[in-house]
Amino acid sequence: MKGTVRILKRFIGATMLISAFLVVFNFILLGFWLVKGMTGVQSPASIVQDVAENLNRPSNNTPYSLDSSVIKLLDQNHAWAMLIDDNTGYIAWDYMIPKELPDQYSLTDIAKFTKNYLEDYPVFVWEHNDGLVVVGYPKKSLAKYEYILPVAWVSSLPLRMAVLLLINIVVALLLSLLIGYRLVHSIRPLTQGIQALAEDRETFIEPKGILADLAQSVNRASTLLRKKNESLKSRDEARSNWIAGISHDIRTPLSMVLGYSSNLEENCDIPAQQRRQAGIIRQQGEYLRSLVSDLNLVSMLEYEMQPLNKKLIRTSVLIRQIATEFLNNGLDERFILEVDNLDENVKVNGDERLLTRAINNLIQNSINHNPDGCLIRLQTTFDESNNSCSFIIADNGKGISQSEIPSLLDLPYSSKRKHPRNNGHGLGLPMVERIAKAHQGHLILSSDIGKGFRAELVLPVNIN
Amino acid sequence: MDDIKNKKLLIVDDEKEIRNILDEFLRKEGFNRIFHAATCEEALQVCQTVKPDIAILDVMLPDGDGFSLLTSIRQISNFPVLFLSARGEDEDRLLGLGLGADDYIVKPFLPRELFLRLTAVLRRVYSQPMRDEPPIFNLGNRIIDLGSGTVQYKENEFSLTAKEFALLFKLYENRNRIVTSDALCQAVWGDDYYGFENTLMVHIRRIREKIEADPSNPEFLLTIRGLGYKLMVKEGLT
Repeated sequence: MKGTVRILKRFIGATMLISAFLVVFNFILLGFWLVKGMTGVQSPASIVQDVAENLNRPSNNTPYSLDSSVIKLLDQNHAWAMLIDDNTGYIAWDYMIPKELPDQYSLTDIAKFTKNYLEDYPVFVWEHNDGLVVVGYPKKSLAKYEYILPVAWVSSLPLRMAVLLLINIVVALLLSLLIGYRLVHSIRPLTQGIQALAEDRETFIEPKGILADLAQSVNRASTLLRKKNESLKSRDEARSNWIAGISHDIRTPLSMVLGYSSNLEENCDIPAQQRRQAGIIRQQGEYLRSLVSDLNLVSMLEYEMQPLNKKLIRTSVLIRQIATEFLNNGLDERFILEVDNLDENVKVNGDERLLTRAINNLIQNSINHNPDGCLIRLQTTFDESNNSCSFIIADNGKGISQSEIPSLLDLPYSSKRKHPRNNGHGLGLPMVERIAKAHQGHLILSSDIGKGFRAELVLPVNIN
Repeated sequence: MDDIKNKKLLIVDDEKEIRNILDEFLRKEGFNRIFHAATCEEALQVCQTVKPDIAILDVMLPDGDGFSLLTSIRQISNFPVLFLSARGEDEDRLLGLGLGADDYIVKPFLPRELFLRLTAVLRRVYSQPMRDEPPIFNLGNRIIDLGSGTVQYKENEFSLTAKEFALLFKLYENRNRIVTSDALCQAVWGDDYYGFENTLMVHIRRIREKIEADPSNPEFLLTIRGLGYKLMVKEGLT
């Protein structure tokens, strides 16, 4: 919906701009034409003025003579000219005057042709000392118009222009709104479809109207996406099932290894050395057991096949329970577990077993990597601004270099993991990260050499 | 203990090797009446003829699964059942326990663990009267009698209130281990215990007044900062 409003806004803006541009452009063009139409040929008014000014006679009895440049001008325009005497009404001087014209003109004649035509010749007049200069143009070469406008009309012209402009703006706005609305209306299914595609939802748009081709393309993309997703999912499932199958099939033989080796280990009839060796077999068998089950869990999480038994858990209770479990199971004296700053009110909706597993892994990590002992602090916090809570597990041990941190989250057998793992099977932290992801959360690691290791498990808190 | 070892055991697993290792190990531990079955059909037959006292069932069997086998067994008899399965997923575990199994063990297993869990189930089911005997124990020179809910010191006798008794009982169950304040509150006030932390402190203080020589400087009922409490009991001094 936001998208369509934005489209509509832009569309109206663009339309208004185009309309304004068109108006300005038309005015400029009109002005240009008018000016050019006037200047291309000298206007009749200026010619008749020229004639009147340049028609002279030295004394009262000598004939009139016209300046040769003005005669040239008249020739160019195929015009004729005459001077009507003020007193008599007879033609006092003429140039190229048509034969059919009368020699004398009455006041009525003059009034008539001044306003209109003289025998269909368009004529123009100018005042001369001795009378009236008339310049005539060929028939049907010029059109004469005369406008008579009321003063009130002329004086209100600016206002009218403004109103006209306003009406124009309103009409343009309404039109653009209408066209824009229709456009948006026709592309709305498309925008919805594309938005659905962006959110990886399936979509189908009725292919109709001018955008039918586009709709069909979106539909094709949608089907393609669905098929891709399906094949991806089935491949993930196959992979995960494969690992689950292996880990299942390994359990029975491993039972035998563990069973008989621990039997031998406890058998007092066997020499101590052999019993110790049997003990090593048992330990390695147990390591294999935890590796297989961890691998299975990580693969289930990786391919989003691990079901979550979610319930509301108070974070502080969980932390206390886990810390207590570590202490009750005989945590080495070199390690100090410190629980502080617990926010008692925070509840998170999560799988208790998986979250316990994640925090256990983080604490066990601190223990495994600091054989000389360290202080491990457990905290829970709540961030109101983005409704998330955090489990923070931080130690003051030897830490690792910052450059190594990103690769800690890669799966140990993937090509991305460049740094060799130094102890453990390397599934611990990737598992924590994937447990966080399964809860729509994330894991933040920070460390540097000699500065300890800090892990923050951030999970969203559902207020309702 | 001896009559536990006389119980009749039924092992149902299609893998002969697994049956053998279990058989061998349990015989070594003193069980001598062990019966085998490789399929559901065989298992049901043994159930009718031998009437075992406990059974260890595999989940995946050639002619059906262990869950449906348990349902059929339940129609004949009510003896305890342990699942021993290669399927470790939560759903299987919950399904098995939900059907009324007494325990669910995931392969691969340590025989010692299986033995301990097996005897725990046997003891729970067949030695019922033993468990109900209320514990009596010493804390320094005081005798705590959880049967009567009293603390005896020299000639004096203090009685414990119901809440104090519940707390002390929970602490004694987990003696020498830390019990979180959450677990203590839950034991006394039930699941909806949130907000009782301060009340808990008051009750702990009252218990200390009864069992400690110097309540401000406790010797037996220790506070574990940030976590909970721990009852220190020296075993074997009674």
